[in-house]
Amino acid sequence: MNSGLDLELSFNQAMQGFGISSDIAHILWLPLPMLLVLIAAVVGVLVTVWLERKISAAAQQRIGPEYAGALGILQPMADGLKLLVKEDIIPARADGLLFTLGPILVLVPVILSWLIVPFGQNLLISNVGIGIFLWIALSSIQPIGLLMSGYASNNKYSLLGGLRAAAQSISYEIPLALSVLAVVMMSNSLSTVDIVAQQNNAGFLSWNVWRQPVGFVIFWICALAECERLPFDLPEAEEELVAGYQTEYAGMKFALFYLAGYINLVLSALLVSVLYLGGWGFPIPVNLLASWIGQSPDSALIQVFTGAAGIVMTILKAYLLVFLAILLRWTTPRVRIDQLLDLGWKFLLPISLVNLLVTACLKLAFPIAFGG
Amino acid sequence: MLGFLQKVSNYTKDAISAANYLAQGLSVTFDHMRRRPITVQYPYEKLIPSERYRGRIHYEFDKCIACEVCVRVCPINLPVVDWVMNKETKKKELRNYSIDFGACIFCGNCVEYCPTNCLSMTEEYELSAFDRHSLNYDNVALGRLPTSVTTDPSVKALKELAYLPKGIMDPHEVKANAKRTGDLPKNILKAIKKPSTSQQLSDNTIIDDKQ
Repeated sequence: MNSGLDLELSFNQAMQGFGISSDIAHILWLPLPMLLVLIAAVVGVLVTVWLERKISAAAQQRIGPEYAGALGILQPMADGLKLLVKEDIIPARADGLLFTLGPILVLVPVILSWLIVPFGQNLLISNVGIGIFLWIALSSIQPIGLLMSGYASNNKYSLLGGLRAAAQSISYEIPLALSVLAVVMMSNSLSTVDIVAQQNNAGFLSWNVWRQPVGFVIFWICALAECERLPFDLPEAEEELVAGYQTEYAGMKFALFYLAGYINLVLSALLVSVLYLGGWGFPIPVNLLASWIGQSPDSALIQVFTGAAGIVMTILKAYLLVFLAILLRWTTPRVRIDQLLDLGWKFLLPISLVNLLVTACLKLAFPIAFGG
Repeated sequence: MLGFLQKVSNYTKDAISAANYLAQGLSVTFDHMRRRPITVQYPYEKLIPSERYRGRIHYEFDKCIACEVCVRVCPINLPVVDWVMNKETKKKELRNYSIDFGACIFCGNCVEYCPTNCLSMTEEYELSAFDRHSLNYDNVALGRLPTSVTTDPSVKALKELAYLPKGIMDPHEVKANAKRTGDLPKNILKAIKKPSTSQQLSDNTIIDDKQ
């Protein structure tokens, strides 16, 4: 398998051409992808917020944001700017340190998780060997931040919201991890790059969603629960809990929660596409397309096309899933906390366990199809 | 063992039917995507209120005979009729008349029962005020005519759904001064009486309705 575009290698070689040593070139290279991912995450959130508002409006025969920029595209920017200049309030009897630390603890792991999202063979910040495990581990930090902010606000709604958020995150992490485990078992690797590469032998036919339909559904449900999206948005259920753990937050700290929620949604959508929908893979293998038009898969043009198609495909798949999440938001009513925990522990957990077992059996029985 | 299997099968059936309902709901939501917005951009666009719209009440001081029927038929005796008996002429002399629109429910009873037709309902509905006491209209305020939506140059007037031609849902597609749909009640009555000539009768010129 060819390695495709490797920007780091090219950058390194270019720097060495200027007479800079390989180590310094590496240090110069490091901030670039970090900055890029930070920008990508924030722009992704702005687009998602705009999409959410526009699609919600369309589902309700409204127009949605209209005046800020063309079709209201600048509305999320205006929202962000407003939050940025608002007064930063810490309630009088709140625990200042925990109150400030909470939103940071929620946001940082989410942004850190972008480390492992691949947009192409080499288009990710770091190909960590334990990639997907890293994401699961990082997402376990989040409930601590939620609990912290719920507790520190010194408000009963916040506390209830924080407790609910923690209970929800913890109980949905297990089926999530189990369904990821089934995928990992099939691809024999925890690295996101390997998981995608393993799915791209025969275009969309080799996507994991065909071999792991149950895992796909479980993962999506759990991801929605982790993001606190609508059927599972009890932690901030506005009708009962005002805004849950966000009640006392204003200005930039609230913006951090807001940002974390949407980055998490985009991240989850990206990971679903990575784990189940072939990640950067084109529905028809690019190599096959290249051979149809009589080009070598190693030629520069095809390389650039593969890279571009990879990014476009990953984002397209992710945003289709975001669209589905928004549709689900306006379709499903909110579940009660007991129904939520029932679903998590009594339904998703046993099914994901069975799914894991069946995958293991199938792997032993048909090693060719299930990655022996 | 059989009981357990039964349980499992029931559980599976439940899950499948739940998924089915979810898919149905999703398809409904998705179907809404192709429906166009029916938004009226309010301060810039306004709907033309229907002819029988029950808006702010208009009052003609000179027609009023201070009979207080409006007060009696009002659910909360709202109109204040301030009159004195003129001993010499032995007639009521009206000094003031007021209705508090902060309390009025726009039921139109007073308009219905007024013996001299000095009360009528307008199409005005923009009654927001900073102070609720400013909604207590006296006879001068009650005598003012509202600005019509169709003549206000700063407003784009839109027809209400019932006044749109058949098949058109969006009022933006129809000119505000376009012919209204359907026939006038008078013409419909004529058409019912003379079914043979009904085809020709569809002129929509305004016919004064003296009964």
